[in-house]
Amino acid sequence: MAARATTAAASLLIARAAAAAGPAMRLRGGRSRGGARLVLACSASSSSSSPPGEGGGFSGRVGFLGLGIMGAPMASNLIKAGCDVTVWNRTKSKCDPLLTLGAKYESSPADVASACDVTFAMLADPESAVEVACGANGAAQGMAPGKGYVDVSTVDAATSKLIGKSITSTGASFLEAPVSGSKKPAEDGLLIFLTAGDESLYNRVALLLDVMGKSRFFLGDVGNGAAMKLVVNMVMGSMMVSFSEGLLLSEKVGLDPNTLVEVISQGAISAPMFSLKGPSMVKAAYPTAFPLKHQQKDLRLALALAESVSQSIPTVAAANELYKVAKSLGLADQDFSAVIEALKAKEQNE
Amino acid sequence: MEVGFLGLGIMGKAMAANLLRHGFRVTVWNRTLAKCQELVALGAAVGETPAAVVAKCRYTIAMLSDPSAALSVVFDKDGVLEQIGDGKGYVDMSTVDAATSCKISEAIKQKGGAFVEAPVSGSKKPAEDGQLVILAAGDKALYDDMVPAFDVLGKKSFFLGEIGNGAKMKLVVNMVMGSMMNALSEGLSLADNSGLSPQTLLDVLDLGAIANPMFKLKGPSMLQGSYNPAFPLKHQQKDMRLALALGDENAVSMPVAAASNEAFKKARSLGLGDLDFSAVYEVLKGASGSGQA
Repeated sequence: MAARATTAAASLLIARAAAAAGPAMRLRGGRSRGGARLVLACSASSSSSSPPGEGGGFSGRVGFLGLGIMGAPMASNLIKAGCDVTVWNRTKSKCDPLLTLGAKYESSPADVASACDVTFAMLADPESAVEVACGANGAAQGMAPGKGYVDVSTVDAATSKLIGKSITSTGASFLEAPVSGSKKPAEDGLLIFLTAGDESLYNRVALLLDVMGKSRFFLGDVGNGAAMKLVVNMVMGSMMVSFSEGLLLSEKVGLDPNTLVEVISQGAISAPMFSLKGPSMVKAAYPTAFPLKHQQKDLRLALALAESVSQSIPTVAAANELYKVAKSLGLADQDFSAVIEALKAKEQNE
Repeated sequence: MEVGFLGLGIMGKAMAANLLRHGFRVTVWNRTLAKCQELVALGAAVGETPAAVVAKCRYTIAMLSDPSAALSVVFDKDGVLEQIGDGKGYVDMSTVDAATSCKISEAIKQKGGAFVEAPVSGSKKPAEDGQLVILAAGDKALYDDMVPAFDVLGKKSFFLGEIGNGAKMKLVVNMVMGSMMNALSEGLSLADNSGLSPQTLLDVLDLGAIANPMFKLKGPSMLQGSYNPAFPLKHQQKDMRLALALGDENAVSMPVAAASNEAFKKARSLGLGDLDFSAVYEVLKGASGSGQA
């Protein structure tokens, strides 16, 4: 009786979570799946013998390394879904909100990895990702057969392969899983996972990905997820600069840039990013959802990827220059939409 | 309501047909008169010249392909100017530069006529479906008179003030669109060359913050190498050129637009000018170490 009630309650909660998640929900067949925010994803009372994604919960301890803009809400969503989460962050104080939610704490990536069955890592750049995985007291040192490491940082393919090797050499499995989506989608559990690597680890953590995200893709060998993320972000980075050029030109020729935002929202090039960021860009406000320095890092990595296959990507190259200028103007930690400032005429203080 | 309609190309034909279907009396003209026949079958009357159309109709709409055609229809022999006058209105929905629009406006007003520029955002399908976005400016009273027609032709109209503002808004929008098409082409090419599935890239893009109708509509046909022109590449390149000129006049930095324009120019030089503007993908696809010419 109790098991059936749990299942019914689970279905009801799943339905409610799905409704609450709004129109962004997508259920797809094949390699990507829409995710309902399964509130009982990690419930101890659900059967751990049923395969993931079919009503079974994820049984086991989940580690989370890196509690920045993205990591904190992602870890928090896992905790709220009932998962047993252990956290680590370079600056310890950032762990406190998660501990208040019920997370455990270990003092090094190695200790987290050792205590947990699957460990996620969300770091800012290739250097940190390598350091946390392979450095002193790094996650690799706590890895062992049967454990898994899921790196959701955005890095280049070579870095991902390096991390993957150091993990798999311990007998553990590795999945690269960078995400598309920034702060709000992370908070709302609406990220898009672009995974590659160990497919059985992918299947094992599918339910956890569905807690944090709305959609997931398995793209094959390590490197493919990293590459896909870089291509997505390079298109986005270029589009943000085009949009900035449009806003500035409209203003300079006597139009109201807010009207441009409205006109764009009515037509074929209407994109959520434009409607979301346009109004604040017009007011020269850039609240950080995706730091400009990370967008520039992604463009740099995308350009390197393009160079490795001799692919010409002129607008991306032009856009990258502007992000560099924006960084030199001190805007590295602002939202990447601050790139519009790089286009503005400014008095140069030599 | 009765309107004249000058120019029955990709856009004009669909727009005139739409007006006819919604009960407007329409008198059409096209440089190649044979193109009028399809509209005649839908109930249109034919004017032999732009002047003849203007003589007959209180309001005349024009939809020409570029500044040169727009000027020609107004200023040439048997053109609009010969019959425009007090009580008549001329609405040019072509995409031109602000200077061309101002020139037309001055000439029309000098003859006592009223003028509105009303370029549109949207290509063939939105024209067929009456879903254009109309960017009007100029004579407010004439604009108000035209609202019933605009409501049929489009899903939303903007009145943007003085002559030139509609033209400028259209150029800015198309500049962003042309650059976005280049960004998409670069992404698809890099994905393909890196061993990723370009279709998967389209799927991922469609789920996120940069999802937009243009990518969704054009992406799949680009991957099939199919470029039936909804918006000819040569016109997109014209718009990029005009937008860059506007930027030049006002010292606005536009490096991505400039890079995009280069790709469209290259595409034209490869003979792709009459294909859909998404054919710029062929330029990016070819611009790789392993690409074929």
